[in-house]
Amino acid sequence: MSMQELIIDTQNLQKKYITDTVETTALAGVDLKIKRGEFVAIMGPSGCGKSTLLNILGMLDSPSSGSFKFLGQEVANVSERQRAKLRKENLGFVFQSFNLIDELTVEENIALPLAYLGFSKSETEKRTLQAMERMGIAHRRSHFPQQLSGGQQQRAAIARAVVSEPALILADEPTGNLDSVHGREVMQLLSELNDAGTTVVMVTHSPTDAEYAHRIVNLFDGQIVTENLNVKRHAAELL
Amino acid sequence: MFNNYLKIAVRNLLRNKVYSAINILGLAIGIASCILIFLYVQDELSYENHFSKSGRITRIVGEVIFEGHKDEFAVTPPALAPAVSRFSDIEAVTQFNRAGKQTIWYNNQTFTDEDLVFADSVFFKVFDYELLAGNPATALIAPHTIVLTEEMAEKIFGGVEQAMGEVLQFSRDSYTVTGVYRNLGHSHLNVSGLLSKATIDARTSAEERNTQWFNLNNYTYVLLQNEEQIASLQAQVDDLTQNHVNPWIKENKLNAQMKFIVQPLKDIHFDTRYMHSISSSGNISYVYIFGAVAVFLLLIASINYMNLATARSAKRAKEVGLRKVVGADRSQIIRQFLGESVLLTLIAVLLALALVQIFIPSFNNLTEKNFSSDFFLQWDFLLVILAIVLLVGVVAGSYPAFFLSGFKPADVLKSDKQPRGGSATLRRALVVLQFSISLIMIIGTIVVFTQMHFLKSADLGFNKEQVMVIDVPGGDSTLVQRLPVIKQKLLQNPNVLQVSNSYSIPAEPTNRTLLLMEQDGKMVEKTMDIIAVDYDFISLMGMEIKEGRNFSRDMKTDEKSGIIINEAAAKWLGWSEPIGKKVGTGENRVGDSSTRIIGVVKDFHMSSLHTDVQPLAITLAPESPGYLLARISPENQAATISFVEEQWRMFDQRHPMEYFFMDEFFDRQYRAEEKMLTVFGYFAGLTILIACLGLFGLASFTAEQRTKEIGIRKVLGSTTGNIVLLLSKDFALLVAIAIMLATPVAWYGMSQWLQDFAYRIDLSWWIFALAGLLALVIALATVSFQAVKAALLDPVKAIRTQ
Repeated sequence: MSMQELIIDTQNLQKKYITDTVETTALAGVDLKIKRGEFVAIMGPSGCGKSTLLNILGMLDSPSSGSFKFLGQEVANVSERQRAKLRKENLGFVFQSFNLIDELTVEENIALPLAYLGFSKSETEKRTLQAMERMGIAHRRSHFPQQLSGGQQQRAAIARAVVSEPALILADEPTGNLDSVHGREVMQLLSELNDAGTTVVMVTHSPTDAEYAHRIVNLFDGQIVTENLNVKRHAAELL
Repeated sequence: MFNNYLKIAVRNLLRNKVYSAINILGLAIGIASCILIFLYVQDELSYENHFSKSGRITRIVGEVIFEGHKDEFAVTPPALAPAVSRFSDIEAVTQFNRAGKQTIWYNNQTFTDEDLVFADSVFFKVFDYELLAGNPATALIAPHTIVLTEEMAEKIFGGVEQAMGEVLQFSRDSYTVTGVYRNLGHSHLNVSGLLSKATIDARTSAEERNTQWFNLNNYTYVLLQNEEQIASLQAQVDDLTQNHVNPWIKENKLNAQMKFIVQPLKDIHFDTRYMHSISSSGNISYVYIFGAVAVFLLLIASINYMNLATARSAKRAKEVGLRKVVGADRSQIIRQFLGESVLLTLIAVLLALALVQIFIPSFNNLTEKNFSSDFFLQWDFLLVILAIVLLVGVVAGSYPAFFLSGFKPADVLKSDKQPRGGSATLRRALVVLQFSISLIMIIGTIVVFTQMHFLKSADLGFNKEQVMVIDVPGGDSTLVQRLPVIKQKLLQNPNVLQVSNSYSIPAEPTNRTLLLMEQDGKMVEKTMDIIAVDYDFISLMGMEIKEGRNFSRDMKTDEKSGIIINEAAAKWLGWSEPIGKKVGTGENRVGDSSTRIIGVVKDFHMSSLHTDVQPLAITLAPESPGYLLARISPENQAATISFVEEQWRMFDQRHPMEYFFMDEFFDRQYRAEEKMLTVFGYFAGLTILIACLGLFGLASFTAEQRTKEIGIRKVLGSTTGNIVLLLSKDFALLVAIAIMLATPVAWYGMSQWLQDFAYRIDLSWWIFALAGLLALVIALATVSFQAVKAALLDPVKAIRTQ
């Protein structure tokens, strides 16, 4: 069954940053397996390597050593072009600071991934509208990001992340810049996406947010120190 | 996707209005200048293109070597054409000679024209002008026929049809119009009409013409069967010279060597070496200089784009990161940014075309050309525009494109990590390059200006001011005989201070003649420049007699046997005591020993200060056509001129009075330099303007980037003055480096330019210091605007913004 298929499988993943004078180890051998359909939260103190790990999982960065299999395919050392291709076909990103393009409207921002995938105009319009409606921001479609509240911006960003129907969504502190009401809204949206079958990997500081995940991975000094199943979530699902 | 790029590009341009304006305006000025310069260069290179046989047409020019001194002439002996026409590989040979200044009468109207030639009937076979009327094969066969240009036909008769068959009266004889032709493009043959050469040939015998090898007065053009035969023609000409011409010269006891050179028609316009050319030549170095200026202007404007785009890259970094996150690969990002710079360039091109439309009349004035404003309809022009768009768009766009597309999304999407906006060192280097170019242009302008001032105020050895020069038409002997009468009449006006008549005046080509000069008791052949003047010329011109005396009315022998030389001649001949030295002149040059040197005049400049003072002999010819000179008082000048005109009308009813002032006439020799000075000055202004636009943008970027630093400094007690100094210091340093780089280059370039002048200014340090100071002041003024703005910021706000 597809639930058992590994979407992410890393072995002894390491990342070192070398500057003129110092060598910093960001990841010191991470073994992480994530199954399709899982919702995983990565937690840990600042500087523990959470973001580095997420960047590598999102193929925005490559590891210094170790193995990273994405959907069974080794991607640790593939070319930049290949990574771009894997990203656009399989991944969606949500950031703490939303990262919408200021010069594009909400609708144009959301349509962007489809443009790089080469969708037709009508298909793009259809899918963009669907994503906007799903996130409840269709009424702000022709606004520019600065005209939106933080919550609306993040919903637009999530709409952009899901518009291409990726297998995996990577979220980097998605509620970090939001108040608790909007934060909860965003977490519910991610949770709904996960319920619909999308794998979600989220980096967070917030224990409340982590509650939405099936599994919580705790990172410290570049290593996984504990992995906890979220009993509450599992219980909810079983009910 | 394209729409998306376009939207982003347009919205970015609109959002950053100052930045966009700097880029677009700078590029537009650069491109507009480029277009104008392109038109100029294309025009200069278009000479002779309209002749369908231009590739096969050659001109033969002559070199005369005499006592190791080489003179190069555009004119050749009359015997050359008949000799050449017997060569193999020749399709046609045509020769013509200048008719000189002519007065033409038709229907009670008088016209004067200097650009007529006597041409043989083969002329149109070589130069295939379009004949609007008449038969090119026969129009110039009969004596006393004339073929006119369309303009002349319009001017005299009011139309082409009206001209045919009409008779034009010249001083000596009359000519019937047998054809009208159209001037289609530029040619060095700047001719207003062709008189049939048969007319003057009838005055001499063919025998005489065909053997005469030392009269240089005919222009000779050869139409080859094909372009490759130019070498074979040269070989045949050399053969002729060696076996026939030089032996003939020797036989006639002329101590000279002649050489003929075959020159392709297309080379003539830019070949300035030859004396007595049919029209003033172009100058290839100006084509190169202007071409370089065009490239520089574009380069400087492109650098602005590169600098501002990379400096502002931090603002685009997030977008790049995002596009990559959602799946763009690097090449797509590169294409996007290249597209943006091409779009920007396109907008600039449109603006440039508008600028060109506005400035084309002034540019025409400046260059004395006649460009029409529909130039952009030509396909080659469109190609140039396309090339500019691609070159500027792609070259200027590629650095920012490659730089921006290299951003790692993981770095730029974290709000605490902002890229530094590209290599500041490269930006500085580019600013240095811009200012170096600007400085070279400024130094060039100052040097040319100073040299021009020097030339115009230099002591010429005579006083060129307030001398009115009136043309005395030749071919009318009664006029010349009555010259003393009008001279007396003119002197009755107290504002006419002195009068004189002379066969030649400064800035006119002088005749060169063969004289026998006494050296060590022997008479030796020497060729030197010679002019013929009257008793009053030397005194009117304010020339100084250094030794001996001036011509005197009391000495009846002066006219036949008195010669004055200049100091240069005395030195050249090695005479320490020149007075009384024997000279053989004219027909009696062999053996007539009664002619003596009676005086030495202080060196004066017969021609421009491009050349040294040449050895010169001055003979007395009190009654000669040429020019009537009047030194007039600056008071009531207008009244004096009309008085002179009135007197002239009474004196000569047949010719309208034509006059000019000697200072203007003399200074006209510097017209090319004058023109270059103006053009150079304008473009130097534009370069520095564009460079400053860029500097302004960069300074505003730096001030923005250092807002936090400025805030902290102010909190710690820094004054506004300190801050302005802090921000300006960096840019001042860049200009200082540019001064150091530009100085040697400009020094070398301008030394080369000054080589054209025998008399030139020294490239003294102050020129470079002045240019440097100017650039520094302009740059600091530009930068300090931004620096003051930044320094006046509220420090609390400044710290909070970052």
